Amino acid sequence: MSAEVLAGALTAEYAAIWAYGPIGVRLSGAERKAAAEAEAAHRSRRDALVVQLSTGGGTVPPDRAGYALPFPVTDRASALRLAVEVEERTAAFWRAALPASTGAERDRALAALTEYAVRATRWRRSAGITPLTVPFPGRPA
Amino acid sequence: MVLTCPVAMGRTTRLDGSSELSRRAVLRAGALLALGGAAVPLTSCGLLDRDEQPPQPDALTPLIDEALRLAAGLRAAATAHPELTDRLVPLAESHEAHAAELTRVVGGPTATPSGSAVSPSSAPSADRSATLTALRQSERAGRDAATRACATAPAERAALLGSVAAARATHLEALR
Repeated sequence: MSAEVLAGALTAEYAAIWAYGPIGVRLSGAERKAAAEAEAAHRSRRDALVVQLSTGGGTVPPDRAGYALPFPVTDRASALRLAVEVEERTAAFWRAALPASTGAERDRALAALTEYAVRATRWRRSAGITPLTVPFPGRPA
Repeated sequence: MVLTCPVAMGRTTRLDGSSELSRRAVLRAGALLALGGAAVPLTSCGLLDRDEQPPQPDALTPLIDEALRLAAGLRAAATAHPELTDRLVPLAESHEAHAAELTRVVGGPTATPSGSAVSPSSAPSADRSATLTALRQSERAGRDAATRACATAPAERAALLGSVAAARATHLEALR
């Protein structure tokens, strides 16, 4: 897979991990736990990408101190909406990795796309957003 | 006519070797007959029929058929359980969008599903929970098929197949 595609996915994972900070504090109970699990999944993919990029001799793009949110997160409803968006956006980067990869790399990219698409569906259910699904997860609108 | 004469010769001259020749003559005659028989239809239909030969089915054709089957199953279930319509119809529409997009990728009307009328693999159960269980089973099988197709697909098809696999996985979640 090209370093450019990997770096794009890594930057998306950085932003996702960052976003789950403000999301988590607005949630409680099972939803907060789900946010922590989602964040852990993004961390684990970030770590794998850093290893892959550095062993491949590529440049590892640096994490930033903060990322611009698409809208302010002020309550549970906006936190859930952002969680949906975070999963959709990261899914799009892994979808873009599919044509650029083969074999085990493609399997991993598809696993990420699928996992994030399913998580977006779960967040939509929590947020009361219908329909719960989109026809082409990860496809740019 | 041709066949009866050498057979008769073979019977009468069994030991002198000429029977072998006559048997070859029978075989040659038979071969010529076969060729002659086949030559007529070959020459008469060859040029005209060649264009109508169906091309090799595309690897995506089974996925298109499956998408339409999944859609039909969801629509039948929504008819049997109208209270589930809002949940099931968007999923059916997604499968139909997949079928349309996959057909476009395969290219041409030859890629349209083999069956003219697509029907669900089985009628929905009167029991709501059994219906949902059956739908989940179909979505799971569909997800696995699309995942396998994506794994080995050429680059230009990988992203679409990935979205189809991911969508079927989200359907599974939405049917919980």
